[in-house]
Amino acid sequence: MIRHECLELLAGKISNQLVVTSQSGQRIEWAHLSKHEGNLLVGMMGCAIGVATGLALALPHRKVIALDSDGSVLLSLFNLPTLGNLRPKNLVVYVFDNGVYSGSRISYPTATAGNTNLEAVARGAGIENAHTIVDIADFKKKGLDALSRNELAFFVCKVDESLMHREIPRPNTDLAENKYTFVRYLERTEEKTIPFIGRG
Amino acid sequence: MKDELAKTLVQSLKSAGINFVTYLPETRLSQIVPLIRDDPDIELIAVSSEQEAVTIAAGATLGGKQAAVYMENTGIYVSSYSLLTAGKQLGVPVLLIVGYLGGVPDQRNSFLYATIGKHTVPVLDGMGIDHTVLENGVNLEGKIQDAVRAANALRAPYALLFAGEFSV
Repeated sequence: MIRHECLELLAGKISNQLVVTSQSGQRIEWAHLSKHEGNLLVGMMGCAIGVATGLALALPHRKVIALDSDGSVLLSLFNLPTLGNLRPKNLVVYVFDNGVYSGSRISYPTATAGNTNLEAVARGAGIENAHTIVDIADFKKKGLDALSRNELAFFVCKVDESLMHREIPRPNTDLAENKYTFVRYLERTEEKTIPFIGRG
Repeated sequence: MKDELAKTLVQSLKSAGINFVTYLPETRLSQIVPLIRDDPDIELIAVSSEQEAVTIAAGATLGGKQAAVYMENTGIYVSSYSLLTAGKQLGVPVLLIVGYLGGVPDQRNSFLYATIGKHTVPVLDGMGIDHTVLENGVNLEGKIQDAVRAANALRAPYALLFAGEFSV
């Protein structure tokens, strides 16, 4: 299974969900596949699950999706016990675990290429609905079904390392532009103002 | 901190519009935790690390909350990455309510805290995060409102460092 085919299937399921992506090859692939105004890029590794959790808590009626990588989750393992205790029902986390720091360009192995099992870590942290997905049929079934369920889900999607993202033109939307598009989309669809924006 | 000052602090947060607080407890301001927990107007979220306290608060801000993070000043060091990425780089306001251990006005300062305190302001300055040291409850409501207004206007975190009467 490669990440791009998972993301392609996921992109077809997006309507009004909010999608938070972290810094990794998947953010380039996702930006190419989805022009949804509810996409929010958090520019560095290890922050997407936290930001997605805050969004899910602030907007409990809205489905929030976090797209993350094994490297990012390993960088922010403290998110897991917090999620395991909060269990926000409207949050779905997909961790694309290729077992390498692909962005480093030397494909140095992550801990998940060794003895570390992120599903087991998540379960131990209290996330009961944590699963490992190893093929695309399972992603279609378990992974995408979670979008219509009202339950925290945490999927470790074991993917082959793919360098497809290096062939895709990088997005030219900067972080601030993306943030304001996202916030204006929220204001429109939630029919409320986001307080920090204020008036000039 | 006297109970009355803790109540004033929580009331001032509410008056400034704070309705979402993530936290890792510490020693100087901890009386505010049960007060916030029992207040129906503020959502209180316990976390495992100050680093995620900032990212969760940032997400809540983007989702329409007026969010704050309550932490010890050691948490400034722990969360510096999140403060720079989710806070400064993405441009998301979050009020930082910080127990200023080891700062000069910390009434419980000792060899345990002094080094931690000495570097807090330079680290905040290094990250370009504006801050105010609060030593008493005089016009506390106005000072917190000023901080929240500044954070929103700057689209950035703003730190309030609590010492003096708050650290007794």
